[in-house]
Amino acid sequence: MTHLASRQRSFSDVVVGEELPAVEFPLTVYRFVVAAGGNRDFNSIHHNTAYAQATGAPEMYASTFLLMGMWERLVRDYIGPAGTIRSIRDFRMRKFNLAGRTVQVRGRVRDARPDGDRGIVTLEVESVVDGQVTVGPGTVEVTLPAAGAAG
Amino acid sequence: MSEDSKAPDRKAPDWKEEWRPLAEAVGRDFGDPTVVFGADAVEPGTIRRYLEPLEIGCPIHYDADAARAAGYPDIVAPYTATMVYSVAPMWRPGEPTVYESAERDAQLARSPINNEDMALGPKTTGFFATDISMEFLRPLTVGERVGRRGQRLISCTPKQTSMGRGAFMTWESELVTDTGEVVARVRTGTYAYNPVGPEEEQP
Repeated sequence: MTHLASRQRSFSDVVVGEELPAVEFPLTVYRFVVAAGGNRDFNSIHHNTAYAQATGAPEMYASTFLLMGMWERLVRDYIGPAGTIRSIRDFRMRKFNLAGRTVQVRGRVRDARPDGDRGIVTLEVESVVDGQVTVGPGTVEVTLPAAGAAG
Repeated sequence: MSEDSKAPDRKAPDWKEEWRPLAEAVGRDFGDPTVVFGADAVEPGTIRRYLEPLEIGCPIHYDADAARAAGYPDIVAPYTATMVYSVAPMWRPGEPTVYESAERDAQLARSPINNEDMALGPKTTGFFATDISMEFLRPLTVGERVGRRGQRLISCTPKQTSMGRGAFMTWESELVTDTGEVVARVRTGTYAYNPVGPEEEQP
């Protein structure tokens, strides 16, 4: 299996306006449980329908850690092993990401500027469910090697 | 104007008034002066479990040679896991049980992921994060520990939503390693509330 992340992108490859390959995350109860075991957010709103509904939500919904990790997956696939993440901003959770739905995380290059032997790239990222933005749009600022780095 | 028509207006200020002490504390640091470290050190197994539901395959997170080739001293944790490693344990040896009830949906008697440590404001039963901004200075490396320092209240705005009555708050803190190095700065928005039934909703 070849991971996108194993191929190293360099700053000279970046085109402002280009779209990142979108990633889809089907939200099953199974995935929620695996995620809770990994990120230790055991709040029942993220794995218990009855409890989530008692708090006013229509269904159990994805945790902040899981949703942030989805953005990192999209970004890491794009920047490769030698890329770094400097910031995530405006990660605003507008709607619940409910069990039984599929989250699509997508992004595009908003800005790119050289910075010594690296380049700083600003990505605009959002999560979408059924055509509606559920998280963001926010920005992720990353750095990439200027050119020719080994992947 | 009849008494009935005034009723909703008379009720509204009461619940908002309960939030006044917290709203007046904007700018105060509610955090423990000492750093509260997370339950586990950064280790390959916990990194792998974090990556699993996300299916992140980048080798710097599981292959030490690949991580070194990318300029790191060892395997590194995903950036978004930095906060995860600052979460305190659910239970420590010597503490009383946190499983006090066999009721199906009973919650832990104590949990590091909630708002029960708010020193001011009303007691609430509902709580969730609304937004986050993070600045990363570097990723965590295997073997390090990280904790949270500070919990400064940046804003507090009482508001009734479709979920209930409560307040939107913004908090700011730093994530520091066991050597005292700041690795990330976090600004978190939360909504703490008490659910209200349909009969209690404002017109």
